[in-house]
Amino acid sequence: MSAATMSRQPGFANSSIGRALRSSWGARVTSYFAFVVAWQIVGASFFRVPTPWETLDFIWREVSGGDHGGVRPGQFWEHFSATVPRFAIGISVAFVIGVVVGLLIGSFSFVRALLSDVLLVFLALPAIIWAFLTVMWFGLGWEAPVYTVILSAAPFVAVNVAQGVRAVSPELRRMSDAFGVPRNRRIRSMLLPAITGYLFTGLRFAVIIGWNAVLLAEWFGAVDGVGWRARLWYDAARYKGFVGWAIIFIVFIFLLDGLVLSPLQRRAFRWRASPSSDLKAEVGAVDTESFTNTAIGL
Amino acid sequence: MGWAAFFGIWAFVSAVILDEFTLPGPLKVWNEILEIVRGGSWADDFLISISKTFMGFMIALIVGVPVGYMMGRAGYWKAFFHDGVVGAGSIPGIVYAIIALVIFGIGFQGPILAVGLISMPFIALNVAEGLEGVDRDLLSMSTAFGRSDRQALRHILIPSIMPFAFAGVRLSFAIAWKVEALTEVFGSSNGVGFQIRFAFQGFSIAGVLAWTLMFIALLLLIERGLAIVERWLFRWRTWEQAA
Amino acid sequence: MATLQIEKLTKTFPPHSKDGRPVRAIQDISFAMSGQVFVSLVGPSGCGKSTLLNIVSGVDSPSTGTVTVTQDGKKARLGYVFQDSRLLPWRTVMQNMLYVSDLPEEEGRANASKYLEMVGLGHAHDMYPGQLSGGMQQRVGIARAFSVSPDLLLMDEPFSHLDAITARSLREELQVMWNATKKTVLFVTHDVMEAVQLSNRIITLAHGGTVFDDTTIELPFPRKASDPEFAAQQAEILGRFETMELERTAAKG
Ligand SMILES: Nc1ncnc2c1ncn2[C@@H]1O[C@H](COP(=O)(O)OP(=O)(O)OP(=O)(O)O)[C@@H](O)[C@H]1O
Ligand SMILES: [Mg+2]
Repeated sequence: MSAATMSRQPGFANSSIGRALRSSWGARVTSYFAFVVAWQIVGASFFRVPTPWETLDFIWREVSGGDHGGVRPGQFWEHFSATVPRFAIGISVAFVIGVVVGLLIGSFSFVRALLSDVLLVFLALPAIIWAFLTVMWFGLGWEAPVYTVILSAAPFVAVNVAQGVRAVSPELRRMSDAFGVPRNRRIRSMLLPAITGYLFTGLRFAVIIGWNAVLLAEWFGAVDGVGWRARLWYDAARYKGFVGWAIIFIVFIFLLDGLVLSPLQRRAFRWRASPSSDLKAEVGAVDTESFTNTAIGL
Repeated sequence: MGWAAFFGIWAFVSAVILDEFTLPGPLKVWNEILEIVRGGSWADDFLISISKTFMGFMIALIVGVPVGYMMGRAGYWKAFFHDGVVGAGSIPGIVYAIIALVIFGIGFQGPILAVGLISMPFIALNVAEGLEGVDRDLLSMSTAFGRSDRQALRHILIPSIMPFAFAGVRLSFAIAWKVEALTEVFGSSNGVGFQIRFAFQGFSIAGVLAWTLMFIALLLLIERGLAIVERWLFRWRTWEQAA
Repeated sequence: MATLQIEKLTKTFPPHSKDGRPVRAIQDISFAMSGQVFVSLVGPSGCGKSTLLNIVSGVDSPSTGTVTVTQDGKKARLGYVFQDSRLLPWRTVMQNMLYVSDLPEEEGRANASKYLEMVGLGHAHDMYPGQLSGGMQQRVGIARAFSVSPDLLLMDEPFSHLDAITARSLREELQVMWNATKKTVLFVTHDVMEAVQLSNRIITLAHGGTVFDDTTIELPFPRKASDPEFAAQQAEILGRFETMELERTAAKG
């Protein structure tokens, strides 16, 4: 920007800093700043709530294996590497089961009539119930977390896949009938492209819901893992540890969602001209509808 | 047929694949429910949980509607709240329970806060969406006939936003109800979540299932009820779509 | 009866695209009208007719120049019939009528009923706009505009979205209503026949928002399109349109 324009518009509001602050990047930065300030205020006024700085300090010690005031060293990686395989296995199995059931429900109206209410109950079941049941079934160990992830996440994959199958338009189906298109080509060219988007949406739900599920199950029914570790700090009434882990949980899911799942989903939807409204396009990473669906499953 | 299938599958799994102890059958759980109902205090627990959910919702509305309004009105506020509102939807429910627990400890405020935190973004997002869709032509009609801003707010803006806000409420109800119970599981001395936790600690699988079933039944009932109210409130919409 | 005074009015919109030029919708228009007249504003699409009405109604503001609408020296009441009906979809027909009314509840209802009756919708008080056909919605729009007893009535191509038969019957209804009330009306249309049939005076706008022509029509009402004098008037106005187009192409070189 030239000096001439600057001198013509004096005052802070028109300076380049003022303008940067009012831009949408400025708004975002301001919002993060406001969040930290709000946290600081809450931290200062409730004695149990740690301040952002204390929390950050804790996370650093935990991750770097540093010292937590003499008693326990940080053990982030140890527990993280226990949880991730449970999470990954659970999600994979849930995905496979969900796809199979979803295809069945979507393809045969008889199966749909049979299973739709079962599915409804599964969708409405909070993950904590599965955590309790699996803990009572399997005791403490790796089983409860894995099964909790499977049982909580699979219904959401199934629902989405079923929707995808049913979204293949009857006209396209009739067209294929009219041309006598063979079965495997039909699946490859008609069914798969139509359900890819739904598959990815289902996967993202599975991940978000499964993450919550694994944490809950480890909290109540494991002897290691990140959920167990968070509980340890809670039981010891060391709240900064507890909040520090909550932050780690959030960061993990944001990274997974933002760096892996959303880009994948956007690739899957490439062929679609996006007809969505401004806000929905803005929301982008999580469009409103799937956002709302996720909610039901937490 | 759907419900018959549900109970049929349940009975089959319980009797044939697993055993009555691992997965009590529908009959056993039904007896457990009767037991709970006879005990009498169940109504209190549900009432407590529902009123906490309701209060949390009120907070979510009081905060979420203005936030959504700002997001729908100004690009700056849209950018300001965007990350928070969207991010809040993928935060695990356990985190909300933790936050509530840390701030309030074991008290009735915890679940209220958790419900408020988790449903607020949905309401805000829906209100913002509704506001962006407000028909500008109707607003200019209002100006041409010399109506005041207050009249336009009451007769144009609010009716346009209402269906969206209501959808936000209905859709976030399920999650609110779940998070409320979850927070009670973590720290509370009453409510449905507390009872589930109590059954868990007494190692009563039938007890957990019985409370869960009641919990789900209420969730589905309220959800259906809200859907009916929604259809009635916004009946002009169906005709608009048909036209 | 109101007086409308437009002096040296221009309206410029900001450019549509980032490096485009500002859009000049109206350039230096002046005219006045008052009393029991029905004035039609005709002109090609995009010449600024709707913009002019929006400025007169206060929905939009002038870039330069002045627009005054007075009624015996006071601010005049306006009625507006839009190209689309612009009814509140979440309110019934009666509630839509009451929305623009300043009368006390009871009186307002009676008044609204009267005008709904006039457009043949006495039975539709409690229906929602979505339950009405396009023509019926437009009738409600007309009843709404008349019901506020406007000093000046603005109408922006009120029949252009309707089929020819419905448009014709509504046009006849409008004429009856106008004869009964003798409002000051500013009526926008691009249909020359419609203008000749309804108005005392026709103002033609040219591309770029300037006044091209201003004619008075002195045929007696009711006018029939089969009347040779009617046909002559219409032909004359259409002839001017042609001149306008010729001049425009000539000016372009
Ligand atoms: N809100 C606006 N912003 C920018 N440009 C506008 C706006 N409204 C109108 N214009 C422009 O002003 C010009 C005149 O538009 P206007 O709607 O008044 O035309 P019109 O004579 O009513 O046409 P029609 O017969 O098609 O209704 C057009 O070039 C249009 O693009
Ligand atoms: Mg126009």
